[in-house]
Amino acid sequence: MTDEKSGRRRRLRGGGPRAGTIAAFLTPFYLPFLLFYLVPVGYALWQSFRVVRRTGGQFGHAYTTFGGFDQYLQVFRNAEFGGSLGRIALFGIVQVPVMLFVALIMALLLDTPLLRAKGFFRIAAFMPYAVPGVIAAIMWSFLYSPQLSPVVDLLNGIGVSPDFLGPGTVLWSAANISTWCWTGYNMLIMFSALQSIPPELYEAAKIDGASNWAIAWRIKVPIIAPSIILTTVFSIIGTLQLYSEPAVLRQISSNISSTYTPNMLAYAVASGNNYQQAAAISVTIAVITFVLSFGFLKLTAKRAGL
Amino acid sequence: MSQPKRARESRISRTAAMSLMVLLAIYFLLPVYFLIVASTKPQADLVSTFGLWFSHFDIVHNLKTLFTVRDGVFGRWAVNSVVYAVLGAAVGTLISALCGYALAKFRFRGRNFLFSVILGGVLVPSTALALPLFLLFSAAGLVDTYWAVFLPSIVSPFGVYLARIFASAAVPDELIESARLDGAGEFRTFFSVSFKLMTPSLVTIFLFQFVGIWNNFFLPLVMLQQEKLFPITLGLYEWNGQSSRVSLLQGSVITGSLVSIVPLIILFLLLQRFWRTGLAAGSLK
Amino acid sequence: MSTPSSRLRLVGAALTVAASVAALTACSSSDDSSSSAAPASSCAPASGPVTLQYWNTVPGMDQVVALWNQKNPTIKVEIKNVSNDQYGQIGNALKAGTAPELAQVGYDELANLRLQDAFVDASGCADAKAAKDKFVPWTWSQASFGDTGVFAMPQDTGPMALFVRTDIFAKYHIAIPKTWDEYAAAAQKLHAADPKLSITFFDPNNAEWFNGLLWQNSAHMYAYSGDKWQVTVDSTASRQVADYWQKLIAAKEVRTDLANTSPPMYAAYEKDQVATYVGAAWAYGMFRDNLPKQAGKWSIVPMPTWGTNPASGDWGGSTVAFMKGNKHLYESVKFNVWLNSDPEALALENKLGGLYPASLAGLQLPALSQGVPYYNNEKVFDVFADSSKNIDTSFAWGPTQKTVNLALQDAMAKAAAGSGTLGDALKTAQDAALSSMKDQAIPAAAG
Repeated sequence: MTDEKSGRRRRLRGGGPRAGTIAAFLTPFYLPFLLFYLVPVGYALWQSFRVVRRTGGQFGHAYTTFGGFDQYLQVFRNAEFGGSLGRIALFGIVQVPVMLFVALIMALLLDTPLLRAKGFFRIAAFMPYAVPGVIAAIMWSFLYSPQLSPVVDLLNGIGVSPDFLGPGTVLWSAANISTWCWTGYNMLIMFSALQSIPPELYEAAKIDGASNWAIAWRIKVPIIAPSIILTTVFSIIGTLQLYSEPAVLRQISSNISSTYTPNMLAYAVASGNNYQQAAAISVTIAVITFVLSFGFLKLTAKRAGL
Repeated sequence: MSQPKRARESRISRTAAMSLMVLLAIYFLLPVYFLIVASTKPQADLVSTFGLWFSHFDIVHNLKTLFTVRDGVFGRWAVNSVVYAVLGAAVGTLISALCGYALAKFRFRGRNFLFSVILGGVLVPSTALALPLFLLFSAAGLVDTYWAVFLPSIVSPFGVYLARIFASAAVPDELIESARLDGAGEFRTFFSVSFKLMTPSLVTIFLFQFVGIWNNFFLPLVMLQQEKLFPITLGLYEWNGQSSRVSLLQGSVITGSLVSIVPLIILFLLLQRFWRTGLAAGSLK
Repeated sequence: MSTPSSRLRLVGAALTVAASVAALTACSSSDDSSSSAAPASSCAPASGPVTLQYWNTVPGMDQVVALWNQKNPTIKVEIKNVSNDQYGQIGNALKAGTAPELAQVGYDELANLRLQDAFVDASGCADAKAAKDKFVPWTWSQASFGDTGVFAMPQDTGPMALFVRTDIFAKYHIAIPKTWDEYAAAAQKLHAADPKLSITFFDPNNAEWFNGLLWQNSAHMYAYSGDKWQVTVDSTASRQVADYWQKLIAAKEVRTDLANTSPPMYAAYEKDQVATYVGAAWAYGMFRDNLPKQAGKWSIVPMPTWGTNPASGDWGGSTVAFMKGNKHLYESVKFNVWLNSDPEALALENKLGGLYPASLAGLQLPALSQGVPYYNNEKVFDVFADSSKNIDTSFAWGPTQKTVNLALQDAMAKAAAGSGTLGDALKTAQDAALSSMKDQAIPAAAG
């Protein structure tokens, strides 16, 4: 956004296009963006301030009316909402750093001369990104299922009987699916950033005898900090949206409730015909997402000197 | 520092690095390998034989079952997924390109504001939009149609974000200027000059959006009721849920999962370099 | 730089969009309203061929419908299997105004869906009204909300009984239990004899099953009087049931890791790890189809009783409802009556889907008076017929049953995982019943 001040402005001064033309370029995107992004947000907001009233007995006439912050008060009083948020927080605090750490290590290793068959490793790690989340979850659910899983068979063989779907473990089984899906993607973002570092930047250090390790941590990681921040923000957003992995695991485990994540809660409430409450939940999730991702950006922007 | 010590250190790090990467590669490939093995097995062998090795090699039979069970609806889902993803990504890429190009190359009031709205859009979780969209589409009579999935899919704020970066980098102002001096209109300039220069990056935008739509699950889940409109993801999810009562479907879920990921994996391998440019540009700006 | 005229044009465009948004919200707020007093819809036959959509979860229903389609080329029926999140799909379709003509709806969800204005009243059709005498009275009463209209045709019921692996009981010299006390004692013996063996499993994600157990103990969950609901989900009678199972769970004498009808459940039975199944009539075909190797080892006996009270319960069973927006009521009634009272259709549904008919003629099916080979040629349907006679027909369901069932399940899963008890789950369900009714502005109080 700094190119306002650059030289281009001068060059384009005389012959800029007419406003109608500019609008013709922008409208094909902004119109659907308005209709399918902004309007739903506005509509959800509007709905979240409505409550249901009824006249004429149990099967009587139902209508909605302005209800102030009633729906939001209910969201915050709802123990299920708190529970789902806590679960997601735990998930995020553990899964996001683990995944990004693994991704970073892989990216750094791929950027050193230590490895052979780099192309193979890169593809192997990135390949899960081609697998839709639902399909990945179905695949892993076979590997978790005590009846089908060769992993369980192998572990049974050495005397361990794991329960991937138990009350204490199923959250981490879901976390594993997310990690499997997204590590390679994040790795590739970091790796691409590493590749665009001019080698001169660390040639000098190499000559001075600095180890690969030292070069990686002292020089490379600080340079690609923006990429790491970006992947963190996307991971935070992804975590708060979590739906398909637990929804698929719910088909085989009773330890995933219908309100396991905030999104599952919103969906369950909506299909209980309480769309106003569901809207309030959706809005709350969106606000939390926004605050966290924006907050993280602001917090790290200064540190990273952006 | 003596040379031998250095060499030993590097041999150790080499081995350690390789071992770590091999372990991780096994982790990433194992589920797909399991899927390949499982989709060659007859239903009965799924439970009774070891999951990581082949028994009766029956993949042709499994494929036949997959494409004929329930009146062959799986084939329909595959076509739907392709239609949603290819058309959606094509239209989406075009409008993102136009918009990103205009934001990068035209000067006008409100430009920064419009761009920050898009940045905000990148951060809005799309699943949060699905339920209100469902209600709006209900009122408009669009629920349970192709449009219900297609229309929201074409909007990709991230695509515009990338297009703006690519347009600034790939299209020199001088070229636009000279096209203008030749009397070409803005649209002609865009399609005859800029579009070509942006093509590699547009492929990247297309790929991102293609995968996004192909992997989308929540939106079709909320919007679609008729099985004949389902994309593969939703169809297999439904079958997976039903396989508890209809055990025949379990084999088809496995084979179907494999069939649904193979084309994408191939597409990935062929178009690797476009991912890298896209990811690099996306992260550096 | 934008010119004033272009800015005006932009403003114009924005206004157009805003107007369409306003139109959208106006539409959607008007469809929030629902009216119950809608008169019975007219019942004129269509002039040409029609196609009906019918959503259900019954295995083998495609073959029954194929039979109909072959006989009735002008009334074509298309089916969709909705066994994955059945009521979620129906609810979404209702909201979107795209509901099918006919949908399978469990007795327990009828009131809940009626609250969402889900049904049309088919009592304008003579055939529909006349069908009343074809069905077991309590099923008709629930489907017609006490004869206030014809909203659905009863399809099947789920009189409960105990499925027993007689060979396992014989092996450990344990008598087949007749009361719940004997059942608990047997549970302990079996588990002591073989730690891998459990008498049964408790599926925490199956509120319908647990409700059937409550039903057996006459633990009425709801009553409606004086324009108000009395909520008694958490009562002495329901606590008795909850505490009983809580003890079995705490002692690890029943498993809690199996979901009903899931592949792991069948695998556990296959491996002789579970000795009984607290089931309903429609489950008779499940074991036959999924565990063919255990033919001859199973027997079906009456439910264990609370003391000497012979009462039984009902688990599941469904109706086929006339859904809102149905434009072909005449044809829908024809199909629906055939589907649920024609002996040929019922015989097929019983054979393929295991349905136990709600129709009186259906109860006279030859298949129901014969011995079933899988069960040693025992006349298992006699057991279900007796069970059916011992069902408390005054049991009623609530108007937010779906939400209550979900809350109950989530809380039961917690109890099964060791945090809280099934008694706490009843409390949670009671609270969910009250608050969900409050959300829908339905007058209710703890009873």
